[in-house]
Amino acid sequence: MSYKTFKWVRIFMAMFIAATVSIAVSIENAYLALAAVIVGMISMLLIKRNVKEVLVDEMVKNIAGKSALMAYSITVPVLALLSLVFMFSNLKERGSDMYNLGIILSYIALAQMFVYSFFYYYYQRKYGRDGE
Amino acid sequence: MENKIRVLRAEKGMTQEELADKAGVTRQTIIAIEKGKYVPSLELAFKICKVFNKKIEEVFQWS
Repeated sequence: MSYKTFKWVRIFMAMFIAATVSIAVSIENAYLALAAVIVGMISMLLIKRNVKEVLVDEMVKNIAGKSALMAYSITVPVLALLSLVFMFSNLKERGSDMYNLGIILSYIALAQMFVYSFFYYYYQRKYGRDGE
Repeated sequence: MENKIRVLRAEKGMTQEELADKAGVTRQTIIAIEKGKYVPSLELAFKICKVFNKKIEEVFQWS
């Protein structure tokens, strides 16, 4: 399969998933939405294997790395700041929805930091930056 | 970093797509390297030089 065909298949698959999830939401069926997403992911994996052309090279990885770092640098401080705002503005109403939202956001920020640190340490070890 | 990829490609009558296939990258990467927007890794630079059968200093110049 050529890259051009793959691009069209990818657009078609995205439309299929979006349509199915929309229908699932309108009829309030979570299983249908989940099934659509899983079927879409598996189909895309299988289709990707049949593409003969190079889809990901060093420039794509370079761009992805820079984008990921930028996304991380923005989302973590924003999430942390929002969580503090939600928690401290609702200190008198502990257990309220807004207070709980603050706690959830802080945990999401922590989870992101943990994942980032894990992979940073992993790649640091892999490329021997610690002198090993 | 400057390079002579466009000239060498023209000499060999090679398209960007053909060079990309031989170097194992996408056509977009070759376009970016030719325009000087992207500096390739040493590995990719050597691969490109191998395609043209040239030494690295004959293809890439540090300006």
